[in-house]
Amino acid sequence: MLSVLVAKRLVSRVCQESLRPAVVELVTTRGYKGEAPDDSRGDLIEIPLPPWTEKDGETMDIKKRRLLFQSRKRGMLENCILLSLFAKQYLNTMSEHQLRQYDRLINEPSNDWDIYYWATEAQPVPDVYTGEIMDLLKEFTKNKDQEQRLDAPNLEYLDKGSQ
Amino acid sequence: MASVSRVLTKRILLTKAFPAATRCSSRNIHFSIYGKKDNAKVSDDISTQYPVVDHEFDAVVVGAGGAGLRAAFGLSEAGFNTACVTKLFPTRSHTVAAQGGINAALGNMEGDDWRWHFYDTVKGSDWLGDQDAIHYMTEQAPAAVVELENFGMPFSRTEDGKIYQRAFGGQSLNFGKGGQAHRCCCVADRTGHSLLHTLYGRSLRYDTSYFVEYFALDLLMEDGECRGVIALCMEDGSIHRFRANNTVIATGGYGRTYFSCTSAHTSTGDGNAMVTRAGLPCQDLEFVQFHPTGIYGAGCLITEGCRGEGGILINSEGERFMERYAPNAKDLASRDVVSRSMTIEIREGRGCGPEKDHVYLQLHHLPPQQLATRLPGISETAMIFAGVDVTKEPIPVLPTVHYNMGGIPTNYKGQVITHPDGEDKVVPGLYACGEAACASVHGANRLGANSLLDLVVFGRACALTIADTCTPGEKLSPLKPSAGEESVANLDKIRFADGNTRTSEIRLNMQRTMQNHAAVFRTGDVLKEGCDKMDAIYQTMEDIKTFDRGVVWNTDLVESLELQNLMLNAVQTIHSAEARKETRGAHAREDYKERMDELDYARPLAGQERKPFQQHWRKHTMSTVDPKTGKVTLEYRPVIDTSLDQEECSAVPPAIRSY
Repeated sequence: MLSVLVAKRLVSRVCQESLRPAVVELVTTRGYKGEAPDDSRGDLIEIPLPPWTEKDGETMDIKKRRLLFQSRKRGMLENCILLSLFAKQYLNTMSEHQLRQYDRLINEPSNDWDIYYWATEAQPVPDVYTGEIMDLLKEFTKNKDQEQRLDAPNLEYLDKGSQ
Repeated sequence: MASVSRVLTKRILLTKAFPAATRCSSRNIHFSIYGKKDNAKVSDDISTQYPVVDHEFDAVVVGAGGAGLRAAFGLSEAGFNTACVTKLFPTRSHTVAAQGGINAALGNMEGDDWRWHFYDTVKGSDWLGDQDAIHYMTEQAPAAVVELENFGMPFSRTEDGKIYQRAFGGQSLNFGKGGQAHRCCCVADRTGHSLLHTLYGRSLRYDTSYFVEYFALDLLMEDGECRGVIALCMEDGSIHRFRANNTVIATGGYGRTYFSCTSAHTSTGDGNAMVTRAGLPCQDLEFVQFHPTGIYGAGCLITEGCRGEGGILINSEGERFMERYAPNAKDLASRDVVSRSMTIEIREGRGCGPEKDHVYLQLHHLPPQQLATRLPGISETAMIFAGVDVTKEPIPVLPTVHYNMGGIPTNYKGQVITHPDGEDKVVPGLYACGEAACASVHGANRLGANSLLDLVVFGRACALTIADTCTPGEKLSPLKPSAGEESVANLDKIRFADGNTRTSEIRLNMQRTMQNHAAVFRTGDVLKEGCDKMDAIYQTMEDIKTFDRGVVWNTDLVESLELQNLMLNAVQTIHSAEARKETRGAHAREDYKERMDELDYARPLAGQERKPFQQHWRKHTMSTVDPKTGKVTLEYRPVIDTSLDQEECSAVPPAIRSY
């Protein structure tokens, strides 16, 4: 019992340390959503969630399968479409290092909107997420080829049997 | 393959509590279900055995959005050993998309009274809402907001330090006679996220056990009582039975039955389908709310602010058609008027695009500077999802499904009910809250910012009712050893399905049919045609084809199970809509343009004769489906017209709804 309590306190202290620098960096307003007053982010500071940790012992294959599900099932439609299209384009060719970056990017942030703002460059990306994958995502989001992104793609592109 | 079986073995021995101490017992029961082995593409190594892990809890909550988290938190706080089963990480539930706020009559901006909020909600529901539930919700609202604040939600503040409240559609003062009310409390523009973060964080301190990325398959029912839930663990394909005397369903809406909806791809009506397969009814599914401007296809919401800044809607002839339908308000007419006008233009052949199935929202006549400063988000979204440069081209838009007023019928305490022999009867052990439930506080039409309120009030109500009727650590009701076998057999069938029609094809057929036949604009023969088409599409599920035979993180399997769930929601929605021959709230019939109540409220009531129950439409639809045939059966249940306490809050008698 005692050790669980001690562990929990340690964890929350560690969370608070790691969260504070990230919180300070982020811009707190988004112009176009009306006159919504400033955000004190009190809940994010006072109520730290258990820190995200990488999964051990996962083969690259299993990791890709997991990241596919986690790319397609997001909190809001914009991310569902963006990340599932991004996964269709890049997931199967990512190196192990890239997979770990992507895993962190889509699983660690608590607010799904933040990922959308970083990808659309509406807000600056925190240092912990900058890297190859973030650059790829930002480029992909720009939609330079102006393709119609009407919906998340069907899964059939993965069906080896049909190819 | 070897790594898969290693993972499987590990799973059987451990339970997946996070991060609580393991208080639940696990026993291993092996269902041996042998799937098809004669398919040449499937390796003989793939095991078709489904190891089952049993868990015991005092309560299990399905879904970890605003309502589910509030229920789980309330239960854990009250000392119940609670499990929360969710297919998504809690802060990634669809509640996170909510940016508006929570309505509560705190009276911080001007004098306010929860009875005015009550009146607004009853009127907004077009008198289909149950007034006892609405009384409960609006009276509890101020206390609920203060409670959330105490939990740590950082509501935006005025300069005086009081909670800042803003205006929202449909909210008035003094029973509609005092002008616009400012009742919506928010956390900047991330109210939904803050709600999830706060509730999730707090619930962990009470040792709630979270089973994340577990897909709930079915309810475990015995003798008409709910004894728990059976779920698939996506990480290793193992099956888990969560036995509990109390089950709370908080799985959200089912926007994904339509081609165009603002909902995430996770809104698949899983809870409604679980209840339907258990032989229980769903209520008022025909009431689906449409927002006028969602991006064509993608469905992402384009704010009304665009039209406020001067954006206009045009048809294929380049005409600003709203001038014909609403000469004064034009493009800023009320949402349902705009939605209906857009749909009429498309039906009459003036739609845009190769299939002439949408209209355009034009912004390029506005100065680029104005677009960049006042509407920067719109430019990004239009470029990303429609490939359109708003400074040069118009955005394709369509009235888009936004919310489901209907769902699992409950009383104001959150208990799921049925309506046998003209009386409401509680289903023991089963509760529902949030968008998945139909208490019914929104009736035929939901007001903005009432949804987040609905989540917290009824999530809490479920927890309170359970705390009132049970004690922690109570002995579990018995459960047959083979309980849940059909769910696993269905899972196996879908996993090895090798018909001719792919999951994505069936899904697209369903979505297009619903979009074409049960959208904003409903008329008898179009609905009837839609019902026949939907029935036929339901049958094609027998011929479904999946391609992923794996057991670990099988997205194809989960999306196919979600399609099964969507189908059940879709057939009930369209059949209920076809049967309801009146216009009420969000259900607009071109062939029956008026509301049909028990009395004609447009004329003086004296001397009028009350229509019998069978001859008017001010009643709830209760729909059930036979999952094997897809046949929908409809029954009806009266609306509750009395508040919880007539002296504290008098009920609002029906009247003509005009703003």
